[in-house]
Amino acid sequence: MKHFTKKKALDPIGDEEKNRELKLYAIRHRQKLLKLGKDLGIRLHYGASTSCVEILTILYKFWMTYDSEEPQWNDRDRFVLSKGHAAPSLYITLSSCGFFPDSEFKNFRRLHSMLQGHPDRKKTPGVESSTGSLGQGFSVAAGMALGGKADGASYKVYVLISDGECNEGSVWEAALISANYKLDNFIVLLDWNKKSSYGEMKGRNDVAPLEEKWQAFGWNVIMCDGHDFISLTQMLENAENAKDQPSILLCNTIKGKGIPYVENNRTPANFALSDEQYNEAMTYLKKLEVEIGL
Amino acid sequence: MKLEVKDITTAYGEALVEVAKFYSNIVVLDSDIADSCKTEAFLRAFPKRSFDLGVAEQSLPTIAAGLSLVGKIPFYNSFAVFAVSRGVDMIRQSVAYNNANVKIVGHAAGQSMGYTGPSHHTLEDISILRAIPNITILSPCDAVETTQMVWKMAETEGPIYLRLARATVPNFHRVNYKFEIGRTELLKEGTDITIFVTGDMVVLAMEVHDVFASQGISCKIVNVPTIKPINVEEVIKHGQGTLGALTIEDHSILGGLGSTIAEIYAEFLQKPVKRLGIPDVFTESDDAAVLRLEYGLSVDLVIRLAREIL
Repeated sequence: MKHFTKKKALDPIGDEEKNRELKLYAIRHRQKLLKLGKDLGIRLHYGASTSCVEILTILYKFWMTYDSEEPQWNDRDRFVLSKGHAAPSLYITLSSCGFFPDSEFKNFRRLHSMLQGHPDRKKTPGVESSTGSLGQGFSVAAGMALGGKADGASYKVYVLISDGECNEGSVWEAALISANYKLDNFIVLLDWNKKSSYGEMKGRNDVAPLEEKWQAFGWNVIMCDGHDFISLTQMLENAENAKDQPSILLCNTIKGKGIPYVENNRTPANFALSDEQYNEAMTYLKKLEVEIGL
Repeated sequence: MKLEVKDITTAYGEALVEVAKFYSNIVVLDSDIADSCKTEAFLRAFPKRSFDLGVAEQSLPTIAAGLSLVGKIPFYNSFAVFAVSRGVDMIRQSVAYNNANVKIVGHAAGQSMGYTGPSHHTLEDISILRAIPNITILSPCDAVETTQMVWKMAETEGPIYLRLARATVPNFHRVNYKFEIGRTELLKEGTDITIFVTGDMVVLAMEVHDVFASQGISCKIVNVPTIKPINVEEVIKHGQGTLGALTIEDHSILGGLGSTIAEIYAEFLQKPVKRLGIPDVFTESDDAAVLRLEYGLSVDLVIRLAREIL
């Protein structure tokens, strides 16, 4: 089914119902993620997969144009998950948008599965580029935008990168190239959760100040609350209207958002939740569901 | 008969313009050295299809992959050492794993940059790329073969590496030669020893052939323009009638053409193989011809090694 929108920001009052619907998607997304880890008894990147839930949700459930029944439809917007370790969250989003059935999750990360540990373009419908080596999906997406701009194409290219990923030199090469070629069809969302694999980035492998850095590289830089759909759509609209420069949304996010244990503790990047931690998160999400009035 | 000589890189640049007239989705990526890569003619002919990324070689494979994923056929250009080694992970992850329709063009491969020194000599590109799935490796021996390869690269879907020596060489092929990916080419028939050779080293192999002929030794010369996928059946066939094989390449003896042939000989023919190439060292600066003598790519050494087989 084709998914279109007018690419207009949500109105805090007029679009209250839509906002509520999106919040529910985000809760269900986190519940699915928790259940995936629990049911399969596997370790997951819970922190990195939850900080970007609202970003993925707003893009696929509201903002982007695509056709899940015809994933290669030429006029579709492109999305690349450059922080490929958040693959479970991308898969949950894609399946909920109809790219493949939920039943695929039972073979997640197993031999012959369409759902590999990191995104695989050749195996998973809706995945635009295989990623997993950080700093590359961003650059590949820049190449897509370069091609789209050269063709005068109507589609936009969106890419989700992490703050830890900005330690990669290749990010800054592609940032320069994108600005030099005035790629105003290129919109980057940076999941700024302040933590990389080994913990807090501040004082260790800090990438801040990000705003000034990206501005200095010639980008339209927009600050944004990465867990708030109103803020995300307002800033996406700003980015869509930029002329002659690429845009980046610095999305303030919380690593582990929605899983209290991960939000509040230092955890390994890839780990299994205990039953207690799982139950605590499920209870918390249920409470949120009730609060927004399910 | 005296053969016409032509620079391989110039042939590439001219072919690119011709092929791009036919394939409107070909785009060219440069890395601030369009002059050295002879892509300026393309830039003049198709300014809107030409993108110079600057000195950003690790972005060549990824930007090219992105372009290919939206329907372009990108040919990206740099000195071979940077076109391959600088962005190996990008080639592996974003080009090969994506099976993206990216054409990697490595210029001045081997020791052909001579005086610029080992930082610019490319002696491990074949070894590196051979180990990565989905990539085809092409290595032309003259201008005619180079031109043919550019056509084939455009019409063949998938990642392809074109390894170009900076060399002015005789055209061993006539203009009506039809290069095919995955085929070897018998240049000289012979019954005593088989020489497998690639790139501009064909010049050396042909010299060896003539010296051998004067000594009464019958030497078969096989040009290997496609190093991967190697045509195993043809290599076996070329090896069956002779006592053993000798390989010649302007590349490390570890992992390149010599290793490819040795693997096939070990598995299927159980005959001796001698590999001629650059030993496992960092080279030095000098004229490319001087370096080739220093590191053993000489008629004398070929003949000495061949004598060990005969």
